[in-house]
Amino acid sequence: MAGLERTMTIEQSQKRFARLTALPGMAVLILLVVGPLVYMFVNSFFVKTLATPVPPRFAWFENYKSLVADGRFWNAFLNSMVIMLIGIPVQSALALAIALLLNKKFPGSRIIIALFLIPVMITPVVAGFEWKIILDNRFGPLNYVLGFFGVNPQAWLAQPVLAMASILLMDTWQWTPFVTLVLLAGLASIPKQVYEAASVDGSSAKETLWRVTMPLLRPVFTLVILLRIIFIFKVFDPVQILTGGGPGVATETLSVLTYIIGFKNFNVGMSATIAVVQLIIITIIAKLFIRLVMNRRQGTPS
Amino acid sequence: MHGRTKVQMVLAAMLLSAASASFAQEKVTLTVYGDEGQNLVPVEWLKPLAAAKGITLQTVGVPFTSVYEKLKTEFVGGTGAYDVVIFYPAYLGEFAEFGYVQPLDGLFSVHDPKMDDVVPAYRDLYDMYNGKTYALPYDGDILNLYYMQHIFNDAGEKAAFKAKFGQELAVPRTWDDLGKVAQFFTRKKGEKLAGKTLDQDFYGFAFLGARGFAYAWWGNIFGSLGGAYFDKNMKPQINSPVGIQALNIQKKLKDYCPPDVMSYGYTELMNAYLQGRVATMIQWSDVWKKANDPKLSQIVHDAGISQVPGVKQADGTIYFRASAPVGRVIAIPATTKHPKEAFWVASMLSLDLGIKSVTSNDTGEDPYRISQFDNVQAFEKFGSAAEAKNYLTVVKDNLNHIFPDINIPGSAEYLDALDVAVTSALSGATDPATALNTAAASWDKITQTLDPARQKKIYNAMLEAWKKHGFWKD
Repeated sequence: MAGLERTMTIEQSQKRFARLTALPGMAVLILLVVGPLVYMFVNSFFVKTLATPVPPRFAWFENYKSLVADGRFWNAFLNSMVIMLIGIPVQSALALAIALLLNKKFPGSRIIIALFLIPVMITPVVAGFEWKIILDNRFGPLNYVLGFFGVNPQAWLAQPVLAMASILLMDTWQWTPFVTLVLLAGLASIPKQVYEAASVDGSSAKETLWRVTMPLLRPVFTLVILLRIIFIFKVFDPVQILTGGGPGVATETLSVLTYIIGFKNFNVGMSATIAVVQLIIITIIAKLFIRLVMNRRQGTPS
Repeated sequence: MHGRTKVQMVLAAMLLSAASASFAQEKVTLTVYGDEGQNLVPVEWLKPLAAAKGITLQTVGVPFTSVYEKLKTEFVGGTGAYDVVIFYPAYLGEFAEFGYVQPLDGLFSVHDPKMDDVVPAYRDLYDMYNGKTYALPYDGDILNLYYMQHIFNDAGEKAAFKAKFGQELAVPRTWDDLGKVAQFFTRKKGEKLAGKTLDQDFYGFAFLGARGFAYAWWGNIFGSLGGAYFDKNMKPQINSPVGIQALNIQKKLKDYCPPDVMSYGYTELMNAYLQGRVATMIQWSDVWKKANDPKLSQIVHDAGISQVPGVKQADGTIYFRASAPVGRVIAIPATTKHPKEAFWVASMLSLDLGIKSVTSNDTGEDPYRISQFDNVQAFEKFGSAAEAKNYLTVVKDNLNHIFPDINIPGSAEYLDALDVAVTSALSGATDPATALNTAAASWDKITQTLDPARQKKIYNAMLEAWKKHGFWKD
């Protein structure tokens, strides 16, 4: 009995120790994440601008009503959705194809993988300036190469549709390697015996891919795509560097609009409102994506 | 040492001390803020002179399009990080109204900036606020019409133009004429221009289409049509019939511009001209200096400069207004601990180093003082005496017909909304009327947020300065 009490005391003591060691991390989380989030949420209910000494005014949902009626907000929302809905499938498919190829281990594959990671390691601002040169109407390499296929030089950053395509191109160039790397790690973790068993069962390459590889890769795939959804919806650097949101507002995303409203116009209340709305949208999209994946997982035969 | 010699030495030391500057000789470090690159070069020139006075200068450079937000952040934070600030005069009204920068009149005794030497319109509209001087001029940005001289002088081109339009080919003085000239000179690769076969497409016109300052190119047309930002009751007038007409005129001109014109910022627009790809374009004054530099230009001594086009009036005169986007002024933050030293730096940059700055291709500065405009010889390094004189006459004329940026609190936000409207319409995303109506609605919202009564008072005070220079009629 005394021994049992001692065990429970040790267990409690361990729990207490665990809580204590977690406290600093939690304090940082509250200070740097939760605190600012709450502050942002509170600000969204105020008409508050630093452009003038007029004191902040509590306005309930006035900012939200104003946002719903603002065409520029809906335009930015639409642009963010377009980038996400096109960017994610393209990057996923490309990354998977490259990962499957690189997983085959041929001479020089390690070097190729190392080189392949360069875009991810480049600072987004630097990448943006590089792409400005690549996309230049007269001297850009892209138009030069397209010229060999009979395509006339395009004004990539001066026309709304092409400017959006340019943003997607740059984002795909920069982040596909990241997705590839994660998928490659996922592929490497699949036991060889599984493939051997499939081979013994007479499974073709296509069947192995869809019935063995993809189901086993699903957890990793889900995670990396979820991360990309969150990051691509918040895309800022390529837009700011390449187009500034232009021409007009053709490439203005929610993040760029938040920056303009908050840091150029100093309208703290409205920029907080946009940020809260963006957070809600991303949360809904993430939840929908997870539910979709879970539903498909439940429906998949073992 | 002889007693009399000692007294003489002490007196000499006192005189030297008084003559050098009317501020203490303690060593101070001052931080100068401005947009990075060529526009901070004069500060580098000043460093040795400042060091001799015990002033160490350090600079903080920010991107061209980020001047407002980074400076405003510092002003709101009130950390006193900067002692001298160089910014675009559109923000002066806001900075002065909210006490971020201090009046300078009381500091003139430190180093007289000779404000009566500043072009009056520029001084009154861009350096003064509420009757006080809050800034010294640093860069007299004004837009001008540039053209390639040889194609206008070519006999073959003249004959062809006359045959097509029934009028003489001349440097366009009206927007109608600019449209004809732009259409006439837009040619495909392989066609002839002034007797030579083109090895690339050639365009009749170009403007700055990238977001940021594109509104000002519309402003040239709007101003010359008699437009104003607001009426006296702060009702936006940008979406008035003349505002929409101005945007339609610019949209038509875009048909004769390079296909990537909507991505043209300062550098792209300048290079289109310096590389001989466009017949005409509208740009800031410093481009003429660069056009005559063989290291930068393929049209050396072929760069013509003229007044911005205008609108023919009933009496036959041409009414034109030249937008003055950007520009630079120097002010002293209210938080500086060394206002006298800071003012000395500002005054040196504006006055003593001014002529060097505006006659150098190492900077982007343009003339703003009467003495600079009168100093033809200083500009002869870029061209002949006649070319230099013409350049200065034209720029001064454009400055005297300035269509200034709106200079009241919230100007950055007003101009951003206008810029979005102009670029949206020009890129074809929306029609001019819808775009400008949206901008006008935004302007109303901004005014409501910033206290309509105060905005109206400040705007009407600004209009008094406009009236004084003939830019506003009641």
